[in-house]
Amino acid sequence: MAQFLIFDREGRDFMDIAARTVRAAIRAYRFFLSYFFVGSCRYAPSCSEYAMDAVEAHGALRGGWLALRRLCRCHPWGGSGYDPAPPAKPSPTDGSGASPR
Amino acid sequence: MMADNKNLMLAIIISVVILLVYQVFFEMPRREAEIARQQRIEQQRQQQQATPQTGEQAPGMELGDAPPVAGSPTAPATPLRRPGDTPRLGVDVSGVVGGGAQPGAQREVALNRSERVRIVSPRVEGSIALIGARIDDLFLKDYRETIDPDSPAVELFRPGGTARPYYAEFGWLAEKGVKAPNRTTVWTADRLRLEPDKPVLLRWDNGEGLIFEQRISLDENFMFSIEQRVRNIGAESFTIAPYGLISRTGIPPDILNFYILHEGLLGVVNDTLQEIDYDDLIESGVQKFETEGGWLGITDKYWLAALIPDQKASVQASFNSGKAGALDKFQSDFLMAGVAVPGGATVAVTNRLFAGAKQVPLLDRYEQELGVPRFDLAVDFGWFYFLTKPLFYALIWLQQYLGNFGLAILALTVGIKLVFFPLANKSYRAMSKMKAMQPKMQQMKERYGEDRQRMNQELMALYKKEGVNPAAGCLPMLVQIPVFFALYKVLFVTLEMRHAPFYGWIRDLSAKDPLGILTAFGFAPWDVPAILDVVNIGIWPLIMGATMYLQQKLNPQPTDPIQAKIFLFMPFVFTFILAPFPAGLVIYWAWNNVLSMAQQWVIMKRMGTV
Repeated sequence: MAQFLIFDREGRDFMDIAARTVRAAIRAYRFFLSYFFVGSCRYAPSCSEYAMDAVEAHGALRGGWLALRRLCRCHPWGGSGYDPAPPAKPSPTDGSGASPR
Repeated sequence: MMADNKNLMLAIIISVVILLVYQVFFEMPRREAEIARQQRIEQQRQQQQATPQTGEQAPGMELGDAPPVAGSPTAPATPLRRPGDTPRLGVDVSGVVGGGAQPGAQREVALNRSERVRIVSPRVEGSIALIGARIDDLFLKDYRETIDPDSPAVELFRPGGTARPYYAEFGWLAEKGVKAPNRTTVWTADRLRLEPDKPVLLRWDNGEGLIFEQRISLDENFMFSIEQRVRNIGAESFTIAPYGLISRTGIPPDILNFYILHEGLLGVVNDTLQEIDYDDLIESGVQKFETEGGWLGITDKYWLAALIPDQKASVQASFNSGKAGALDKFQSDFLMAGVAVPGGATVAVTNRLFAGAKQVPLLDRYEQELGVPRFDLAVDFGWFYFLTKPLFYALIWLQQYLGNFGLAILALTVGIKLVFFPLANKSYRAMSKMKAMQPKMQQMKERYGEDRQRMNQELMALYKKEGVNPAAGCLPMLVQIPVFFALYKVLFVTLEMRHAPFYGWIRDLSAKDPLGILTAFGFAPWDVPAILDVVNIGIWPLIMGATMYLQQKLNPQPTDPIQAKIFLFMPFVFTFILAPFPAGLVIYWAWNNVLSMAQQWVIMKRMGTV
């Protein structure tokens, strides 16, 4: 694990580690806590799926922000239906971890 | 599939870690505290049985020098308190031969070192030492050490000369060269009994023109008022500064050291709550605050000793620690500004001492009537005060009508359910439809498998076709989290829940269900070793687990197979996790599940999905 901390061979930087951590946390939520929220979802994908996608596409910060906004849209008077995370904008010069796989 | 395996591993690792952390940080300290408490109670019982029936005034004790207080005929010449004429609460001293080395005898000997004014009141019993004018002997008559009504009354204060003295004292600091009373000062009293509405006047003449007086009164509950008065009958002017202190030797052996509960020194100074753990104070050394108004003292989980200086005076409040032999010693005190007492003048100030049980309504009443700021914070309501305290009062209110805190919890749950009834209905309706659509969803998943975008779009199309209205969102569930935590806090922290019974075998809602599976639910009692506590699950946790399992059967299953497996496992996991929690909380959760299921079932029935 330690070799990932700042930079490693593949050029993952700190932000990438943050994104991985956030995604691991979301995964943990999906397995354990989502139990208590069965049947709550107004949207597809669910907020946790959305957050996974958003963080993967946009990194921890912007992805987290997008996910938070999605969570805030999920209430009895909010929208519903198909609402996927926005895809990452393709940027030709961007070689670092923010691009989608 | 690789990812799936990784996820499963992660899931397993996390659950093991959670269980371990829980065991080490929550269960073990609690268990140790419980063992220590049992030992202490046992020790106390032995002490009290060992109370000697003989004993004379300690030698060398005379009330000699001081003149009699005006109004009382003469200074009392007889011992104020003979051991044996005030047997300790709930203990039959007859026929028991005292063992001199016992700690109980030690307490009695310590009490006999000084003549005493007895404290006789509906709720407290004890005495004030005339040497040093210390309130150092106090029992709370309404509260027992354990759930057994024959167990000893709760001891709050304990005199010097015992293993762990704990007492309050009021006095004066004087300028150099002035004889002020100290801990060896022998005071005279105008009465030998302090009763509610019958104050006692302690008096000491320093022989150099100053007469010190403490007029101590006690209300029907736990509030002592001490009017500290100095009369200068000479011509010279003196400067004196009144103080009050609470001193405790040794960290109490039954301390829980639990992170949601403060035990130690505390106070509200400058309108800010200060909570200082014993350990932290030892490390930090003295902590001083200049404050106008406020209170400070030392608290246990349920009991409190607090100084309440005159709220208009500005005082220097301090928390300090030191050594008393092998033990640590802690002190909360306040010192008022020095006042000049010119010849012929009298200077007086009234300070107070709360010594008793932290009944929330009582603390609130003192806050209102005496202006003790934020006195209710002596109860560790925590960060969620705004939620915890109203929830507490709701329970108190319901309890008045229902006569039982367990029923109050059940009724409160119904109330909360009612508030969210329409929202939950919405979700259940959606869930009901989804459960009916499950085979179709499974088909879709097989067809679109990897293409999640397509899958989601098809899913939404299916929802539309089947007429699924959107669920209410996670809000109704999210609300339950703070309610759950607040209830946990109330059960854990407030005195009112202590020893509050429910029906059947639950005699204390604030403790775990006592009938564990390893004792065949009490039919085959034996000493379950601590290490097996985790699996010694009580009846209510099992009921709770069963309700969780049944509820899950009503819900649509997740399409992810691993998630589905974990979900199946969850009622089992939560049975273990909740087993050591207060029975009241487990009952709440079981009841909450039952209500949810009933609501869900009615809806599903109506929609024809069961």
